[in-house]
Amino acid sequence: MIYPLAHLLGGLVLLCAFSLLSQRRLAAMISIYQLEALILSAAAAWQGYAQHELSLYLTAAITLVIKAGIAPIVLRRIVHNFNLIRAVETAMPVGVSMILGVGLIGVAVLVVLPTTINSVGLTREDLAISLSVVLLGLLVMTTRRNAVSQVIGFLSTENGLVLAAIGMPGMPFVAELSVALLVLLAFMVVGVFLLRIREHFDTLDLSGIEEIERRGR
Amino acid sequence: MSFWLLALGFAAQAAAFLPLLAAPVIGFFGKPMHGAFANVVLCFLVFLLTLAVFRHPGGGLIHADELGMMFGVLTSFVALSTSLTNIAFVRSEISRMSVRRWRVYHAMCQVMLGTTILGLYADNIGMLWVAVEGATISATLGVSLPRTATALEAGWKYFVLGGVGIALALFGTMLTYLAAQPVLGPGLQAMSFAALEAHAAHLDGALMTLAFVFLLFGYGTKSALVPLHGWLPDAYAEGPIPLTATLSGLMLNVALLALLRFRHLMQANFLALGGALPPGPFLETLGLASLLLVAFSLWRRRDARRFFGFSSIENSGIAVFAFGVGGTVAIFAGLLHMILHGLIKSALFQAFTRAAAMRGGAGPGQYGFSHLRGMMASNKYLAWLLVGCVFFLTGLPPSGLFATEFLIISQTVQRVPILSLPLGAGLLLCAIAIIRQVGPLGFAPPPKNTMPAKAGRLLGVVYLHLALVVTLAFAMPPLLFVALSNIATGLQ
Repeated sequence: MIYPLAHLLGGLVLLCAFSLLSQRRLAAMISIYQLEALILSAAAAWQGYAQHELSLYLTAAITLVIKAGIAPIVLRRIVHNFNLIRAVETAMPVGVSMILGVGLIGVAVLVVLPTTINSVGLTREDLAISLSVVLLGLLVMTTRRNAVSQVIGFLSTENGLVLAAIGMPGMPFVAELSVALLVLLAFMVVGVFLLRIREHFDTLDLSGIEEIERRGR
Repeated sequence: MSFWLLALGFAAQAAAFLPLLAAPVIGFFGKPMHGAFANVVLCFLVFLLTLAVFRHPGGGLIHADELGMMFGVLTSFVALSTSLTNIAFVRSEISRMSVRRWRVYHAMCQVMLGTTILGLYADNIGMLWVAVEGATISATLGVSLPRTATALEAGWKYFVLGGVGIALALFGTMLTYLAAQPVLGPGLQAMSFAALEAHAAHLDGALMTLAFVFLLFGYGTKSALVPLHGWLPDAYAEGPIPLTATLSGLMLNVALLALLRFRHLMQANFLALGGALPPGPFLETLGLASLLLVAFSLWRRRDARRFFGFSSIENSGIAVFAFGVGGTVAIFAGLLHMILHGLIKSALFQAFTRAAAMRGGAGPGQYGFSHLRGMMASNKYLAWLLVGCVFFLTGLPPSGLFATEFLIISQTVQRVPILSLPLGAGLLLCAIAIIRQVGPLGFAPPPKNTMPAKAGRLLGVVYLHLALVVTLAFAMPPLLFVALSNIATGLQ
C-alpha cells in the first residue's frame, strides 16, 4: 500500500517536471509548477503517515503554503505587473530539450539503481525519480533565457530535492527545514532581483548578460 | 565572572551566532559610520572567541575540530583587519550609497563572517550545507548592492550558478546520509563528520562515490573550480570590495575544506576496499583544469579585481590538486597554501581599496591597472605594500607560497609524475602573468594630476599580514607545525 501510492505521487511530480520543458508560456509554467508543488506536498504527507513522522507532515504543510500557495501568487504578480510577453523564448527548440530530458531521466535511473542495490526498494526508486526531477529542473534553467522561467526551473529542482529528502528513512529535519528556508530566502532575493533588473533592462530577457563578457572583463 | 566562564564554554557556538544575531540590528539601525565601528567591535569579539575555541571546542552540531579551529582563527583575523580598513573605505565612499544600503552592507559583512565560522565549526554535514547556503545569499545581496546594470548581472549570475551548486551539494549530502545510515542508524549520527570518519570503511562505497560526485560539483561551484568558476571574477569585480572580494574569499576555504573532508571519507573507504572509487583523479583533474585555464586567461585582464579574482581560482585549483595528490606532505602543503593565500589575498585587496580611494574612488570599475599605475607617486608606503602583495602572490621566495608550491610539486613528482609537467607549466605561466603587473603598478609614470596622499595609520595591519606570511612559511612555530602535520596525517 505504501509503495504504489508513494510511487504514483513521485511519478506525478516527475511528469510535472517533464512537462515544464514543453511549455512555451510563462502562465502555463507557473500553473504546472503549482501542481507539482501540490503533489509534492501530498507525497510528503503520505510519507509522514507511512513513517509516522511528525516532521514530514510539517514539511508537507510548508510545501503547501509556501511553494503551492505564496510562490505562484508572487510569480503571477511579477508576470502581470511587468506586462511580460507571455511567450517563453527558448534557447533551443522544445523538441530537442524534451529529447535531452528523456536522456537525463535515463541517466538518473542508470546511475542510481545500480549504486543503491543494498538500500530499501522504496528509497531506490524514489531516489531515481527525484534525481530525474533535479536534473530536469537544471535543464529548464539552461534552456531558457527568461529570468522568470529560470526561477521556475530552480524551484522545480528544489522540489526534486525535497522529494529525495522525504524518501530518506529517518532523515533528520535539518534538511527539510533548510530547503524550506532556502525557498523563502531565494524568493526574497529573486524578488529584489526581478524588480531591479526590471529597472535597468526593459525586459526580463537575460541575453544582455553577455554585456560583461564583451567588456573584456 | 561566572557568566563569562559560561559564555566561554559555548565559544564555538557564540563565535558563529554572535555575528548572525547582530546582523539584523546593524541592518535596521544606525548611520554608516556606526555600522563600520560596530563591525570592528564584533569582529574583535569573534576573534577572541575563535581563540577561546581552542579551550572549548563546543559539542553536538557545532563541534570544532583542529582544522576548523585553525581556519576559524584565520577567518576572524582577516575579518578583523578588513573591518579596520573598512572604516577608511566607508569614509571615502559614504556618499555613493544610501543609508539603507550601507546598513544592508554591514549586516551582510556580519552574516558572511558568521556563516563562514559556522561552516568551519560545523560537525554536521547538513549544518555545513546551511552555512554555505547562507553565505551565498549574503554574497548575492552584497554583489548587487551598487544597483548598476553590471552589478545586477553579476549578482544574477552568482545567484543562478550558486543556487545550482547548492542544490547539487544538498543532493550529495543526502546521498552521504543514505550511505551512512545502514551503519550509523537513522538520525543525526549519520550526518556527523566525526562519526562518518570513524566508520568510513563501512560506508556504502558505491553510494559514497555517487555522493562525492554531487558534492564535488556542489562545493566545487562554491570554491570556483574550473567548469563552475564563472561567477567568481564577476562577483569579485562588483559590489563593495571588502565584502565581495575580501570576506567572500574566506568562504572559498569552507568549500575547499568540505571537499578535503569528503575526500578523506572516500579515500579511507577506498583503502578499506569499501567499494568507493579513489577520489584523487577527480580532484587532480579539476584542480589542474583550474590552474591551466587561469594561466591562459590572466594575460588579458585589465581590471585588477577581476585579475586577482582569477588568481583566487588558481589558488583554489592548486589546493584541490594537492588534496587530490594525497599523502601527509601534499595535504599539509595544500592547507598551508590555503592559509597563506588567504592572508596575502586579503592584504592585497585591502591595499587595492586604499589605492583606488587615493585615485578618486573605491567603487567598482575604478580598479583598472592603467588607472592604478605608478602608485609610488601617490604614497610610497602603500606602493611598497601593493608591490609586496603582488610579488608574494607569484610564489617566488621570500613568499611563503614558494614553500608550499615547492612541496606540492615535489610530491607530484613522487606520486603522479605524469602531472608534474602541466602543473609546473601552469604555475610558471601564472607567476609570469602576475609579476608583469608589479613594475607598472609601483613604478610606472602615474596618470596626470596625481597628487601625493596619506595612507592612514591602519594600513599597518595589512603589513602584519605579509609579516605573518613570511613567518609562517619559513619560521613556523613548532606548535603550529605539529598541529598542522597531525591534521594532515589524520586526513591523508
